[in-house]
Amino acid sequence: MSDSDPTALERFLNGILPENPIYRQLLGMCPTLAVTGAMKPAVTMAAATAFVLVSANLIVSLIRGLLKPHLRILVFTLTIATFVTIADKALAAYLYQMSKQLGPYVPLIIVNCIIISRCEICASKQSVGVALADALGMSLGFALGLASIATVREILGSGTWFGLPVLPSGWHGWGIMVLPPGAFLTLGLLLGAAEWLGQRRAARATGKA
Amino acid sequence: METFVLLIQIFIAAALINNFVLHYFVGVCPFLGVSRRVDTAFGMGCAVTFVMTVASLLSWTFTYFILRPGAPLPAWVWSRISGRSDVVVDLSVLSYIMYIFVIAASVQFVEMYVRKFFPPLYKAFGVFLPLITTNCAILFACLLIMKNLQDPTALWGLGESLTMAVGGGLGFTLAITLMAGIREELAMCDVPKPLEGAGIALVVAGTLAMAFMGFTGVDKSVAEALAKALH
Amino acid sequence: MSEPSLKSEGGYVRQAWLVILLAVSYGAALAGVETTLGPKIAENKRNETYDKIPNLVPGADKSRTVEMLLEDADGNRRRVYQALGSDGSLRGWVLPAGGQGFADRIELLIGLDAPAARITGLYVLEQKETPGLGDYIAGPDFQSNFRDKPTAPPLEVVKGDPTASNEIPALTGATISSEAVAAIANAAIAAVKEAIRKHAVSLQPPPRSTKNRHNP
Repeated sequence: MSDSDPTALERFLNGILPENPIYRQLLGMCPTLAVTGAMKPAVTMAAATAFVLVSANLIVSLIRGLLKPHLRILVFTLTIATFVTIADKALAAYLYQMSKQLGPYVPLIIVNCIIISRCEICASKQSVGVALADALGMSLGFALGLASIATVREILGSGTWFGLPVLPSGWHGWGIMVLPPGAFLTLGLLLGAAEWLGQRRAARATGKA
Repeated sequence: METFVLLIQIFIAAALINNFVLHYFVGVCPFLGVSRRVDTAFGMGCAVTFVMTVASLLSWTFTYFILRPGAPLPAWVWSRISGRSDVVVDLSVLSYIMYIFVIAASVQFVEMYVRKFFPPLYKAFGVFLPLITTNCAILFACLLIMKNLQDPTALWGLGESLTMAVGGGLGFTLAITLMAGIREELAMCDVPKPLEGAGIALVVAGTLAMAFMGFTGVDKSVAEALAKALH
Repeated sequence: MSEPSLKSEGGYVRQAWLVILLAVSYGAALAGVETTLGPKIAENKRNETYDKIPNLVPGADKSRTVEMLLEDADGNRRRVYQALGSDGSLRGWVLPAGGQGFADRIELLIGLDAPAARITGLYVLEQKETPGLGDYIAGPDFQSNFRDKPTAPPLEVVKGDPTASNEIPALTGATISSEAVAAIANAAIAAVKEAIRKHAVSLQPPPRSTKNRHNP
């Protein structure tokens, strides 16, 4: 274990903002656009993804010594598909309406690039504790990204947040926000905003130095 | 004749109205990543269509004969083992694992085929071809097929599934090529710095999605017109 | 996911033992999940329909519902539900139906009375119509229009106030969605009415003979 590998705490903090999976790495776009029409499905999707990411990272990290290089993607995929099936069945059993609302996007967690890339970059190379921290950090970052987009779309689109009305009843609801074009527009503009903040911070840092 | 009209309806719905990228949000990663030039975008679209068709063919076959509730093959095996033939065997819990391997196998197959018969195209694709494995669109097509094979009173046949796959792939190709054409022009425009790259691409995609919303109801009207014309 | 030659590194099984082991253990885990959660999921699916039955057919007890497959007029097998009261008497039928709406597929539950002569209720299970316009078909106001309508002649959607007993007022700005719901209901009822009637007759208890009633 070389000293230059990031520690558990570094991995954890890394995933939240500096390497946020949505805003910085631009991974996992499919669920980001699909389930962020309202907060409830967004939070459920974030939780399901977190479950799969943490479990997959744990298992891959435990067996990392046994992985043959050219079969490792196969192992990752098999592990991820199994946990996604478990998550999907659990949702259908205990949160049936939400499972119907999320529909095919829960199984699409299998091809969510975030999970495979974390297995490849971190879990297959570092110990269980670090892999766990990495998974938790990335999950938190993903949840923050989803929540930010869902907040904008739900408040503007339906006037509610988590189903509770937050805008005066005169607000009829900006329907396009809940529909596909609104998803693309919101994500694009929020990405621009995040980029602008990052560039401003970088400019100030270099300005000071 | 009703089958033909139904197939046309499925095709138009998959390609235009419920466009895989602009309505269902699947395949957004290659849509953003490969859409800078029209020729690579079109090539990627064709490759995705090809893989989607092969993968849908394989996944329909596996789902129909093995995975769905009441599938014939496991029922036959179980009746040989236990002697009982009234049990409904449901292996659909293995669906997702089966699909992801079917997709990986389809990509391998297409890769071998393209490398053998179209070597310059294979070189042009580079790393994109294996990346199609993680393309949500293909898994999504398989999931649609699975959804329509659940109720024994309303099963999708091979024809409907393949039509949906080809329609979806062509819709993806249309969307990605349109996007590439727009981005080629955008490259010469004065885009605000924070929006360069993914930001402006997503805003453009939003406008495209709005445009495609105009197709709503077209499949029903075409189906009705066809039904009238053919009778 | 290209795989370089494995031949140089020993047999395939030796290379793949981990994959095979994982596949077997994951398979066992999934079998366990399916055994524990499968029944709960099936129950959820069933309840989705059963919970609506008391609203669709007055007097029905949802726990006594009988699910059955009937062959309809086109030769297809359709699932229908017999809505029985707590005493086991046939109160009505619930008929799932689906078809193309304006935007996407619409799934309905239609309640019919015992002789399939009147519609006792309608419920929209799934729809993806335009938010703010077409999606009002899922609201109770539109659905209550279908209550107590005759099953023949077929339902017709009209703009403005309905005059005949088989007319349904269209939703403002969503005529096609409203017409789609009526068309789906008409098609389903027409296909299944005869089969339901035949089955209802076979369910009736035989008429009690009045011959011996007054014998002391």
